[in-house]
Amino acid sequence: MTPAVTPAPPRPRRAHDLASLTRLAWRNLWRQRRRTLLLVVVVAYATLAIVFFWGFTDGFLDSVMNAQGRLVAAPVLISSEVYHHDPDPSNGLSGLAALEALALADPQVGAVAPRIDFGALLRSPYTTEGVMARGIDPAREGRVSDLPSRVSQGRMLQGPGEIVLGKGLAERLDVRLGERLAVDVSALAGPQALGLRLVGLIDAGTPVIDDSTALIDLADARTLTGVAGATGLALDVPLGQEAAAAQAINERLPDGIRAYAVGDLLGALQRGLAAERIQMIPMGLLFSLFAAVAVTTTVVVSVLERIREFGVIVSLGLDQASLAWLVTFESVFATALGWLVGLAAGYGLLWIFSATNALGALMIHTYGDIVQGLALTDQIYASVRLEYALFASVTIAFAALFSALAPARRVRRLNPAEAMRAQ
Amino acid sequence: MTRFVARTFVAAVLLGVTGIAAAQDSAQAVLDRVVENLRGVSQWATLQLTVERPQSTTEYVMEIVTDGDKRSLARVTAPPRDAGQAFLSVDTNLLIYNPRLGRSLRLPPSGRSNAFLGSDLSYDDLAGEEYRDQYDASVADRSATAITLDLTPHPEAPTPYGKLEFRVQPGTYAPLSLTFFDQRGNAVKRMSFAEFKQVDGRTVPERFEVVDLLKDGYRTVASWTQVDYHTPVPDRCFTEAALERGCR
Repeated sequence: MTPAVTPAPPRPRRAHDLASLTRLAWRNLWRQRRRTLLLVVVVAYATLAIVFFWGFTDGFLDSVMNAQGRLVAAPVLISSEVYHHDPDPSNGLSGLAALEALALADPQVGAVAPRIDFGALLRSPYTTEGVMARGIDPAREGRVSDLPSRVSQGRMLQGPGEIVLGKGLAERLDVRLGERLAVDVSALAGPQALGLRLVGLIDAGTPVIDDSTALIDLADARTLTGVAGATGLALDVPLGQEAAAAQAINERLPDGIRAYAVGDLLGALQRGLAAERIQMIPMGLLFSLFAAVAVTTTVVVSVLERIREFGVIVSLGLDQASLAWLVTFESVFATALGWLVGLAAGYGLLWIFSATNALGALMIHTYGDIVQGLALTDQIYASVRLEYALFASVTIAFAALFSALAPARRVRRLNPAEAMRAQ
Repeated sequence: MTRFVARTFVAAVLLGVTGIAAAQDSAQAVLDRVVENLRGVSQWATLQLTVERPQSTTEYVMEIVTDGDKRSLARVTAPPRDAGQAFLSVDTNLLIYNPRLGRSLRLPPSGRSNAFLGSDLSYDDLAGEEYRDQYDASVADRSATAITLDLTPHPEAPTPYGKLEFRVQPGTYAPLSLTFFDQRGNAVKRMSFAEFKQVDGRTVPERFEVVDLLKDGYRTVASWTQVDYHTPVPDRCFTEAALERGCR
């Protein structure tokens, strides 16, 4: 009589069981190096792609912001706080020399240029157009703005008596190079008017510039507005250093006067770009999802290949639940390894593209016509932020989840007798 | 005989010198006279303004009071839709009263050069001051029926026009027509003047016609009726209170 075999009661899972499973899973990774390498490569590629995707997206949006900033506003602008909230010429700056010296004392500031921004009415023989005109010092403006480099016909201002217009604005006024425009202004000096000759047309390829830009000499702006100084001092600071430079300068500026970084000056644009970035999140998540599915598929195939092996393991006493944990740990370890490798490669790539302008040249040459409406310069640098590692880790989370759902579940239902007969 | 020759010679020299002097300043003198005629004199009047557009014609009636210099007040009395609107021009300042808002607004300087009430006329068209201040005049033609003045803007004159052509009646210096040219030599707008009246030594037109030469069917006719050139115009007519409530 054969003694009855009673199944052993399930052992309670203890911490050291999980530790053993962890060690076993780690060892298993290196037993099948080719399979592990494949999994690591898949995850590394997905991680690299996600990191680069966000670095490129943010860099591109930053480039749009900076390009628009150097066209529409300035990298940093010093103005009175009152003017920032109520841009009326009467709220302009005085004591320009002291403020310029103070700004130039900051090592990040490369150049300073005074400006007077004011509302004006332009009259041609055919129509009138209201614009926000800008009085500039032609000799200095090019250091703080890209607008002078966007003069496509004629030339930039050289002195009083001249005006440069956006191409679209000139078309609406039906005014040609060499013709005179009447400029009407009502400001501190009361109603004033000047006749200015059109010497140049700006074609930035973006409506906000081409349809509204009117540049005149600072002396003419002072005559028209009655402003003795300026409404603002535009500062040139290195790309990406705008906020830091503004903060450093603000510590030295007198009360009531502040330095505003391009982000503060173009709040609406910044909010628009932030919205664009939020819109990219579903795409990024989709990217992570696909990567996780690829990882899970690889794990599933690997589980199918190892069915006999799993059957032997279970027959030797490891319960299915522990085996499922083993498979999940293997997936997590492999994806974590791939994540680390991908992060190293992704951040390395971003570092290269953040230090060199390879993307700008590539984008302009490849998609020049398409991105023209964004007023991009040919300077596009990738962005490098730590949060990309977090975004990429979503892949790991998805992979772990899917592995627990599919391959581990399959292992949990494994019948050892059938598994050992599997081909 | 010798005395006669000598007198004739002296007279000829004097006439010649006077003629040369007259020729040198005649263009500016003619312009001064024509501007004085164009601006008219102190008056109370009713102005009928007909604004013609391709699809519609609008008739306005306005009460006008001016000191004949740099101050004027105009109040719309018809049509009912626009009645109560008023314009006060003092020097270069232009204020408008909107009865619906119940308040006065100071217009930017462009308000003087913009057409009012959707017409083809502007305050600057009527004032004539800018013609003297911003242009150099030269006589382009002189005939028995008209003196033609070419007005060329000063280099930095705040005008978008390339040239103005004034046709003036010899003797009275009454304005006959004023044509505005763009800077490409194309005529863009023409004002014609008619129904002249002699007042205090001036020949004042009481009918203006403005034609937009670039847009077919765009025409404005202004006719002064019930003009009183004799009743003095008090200073109180050129205040914001008068703008809102009138001064009769």
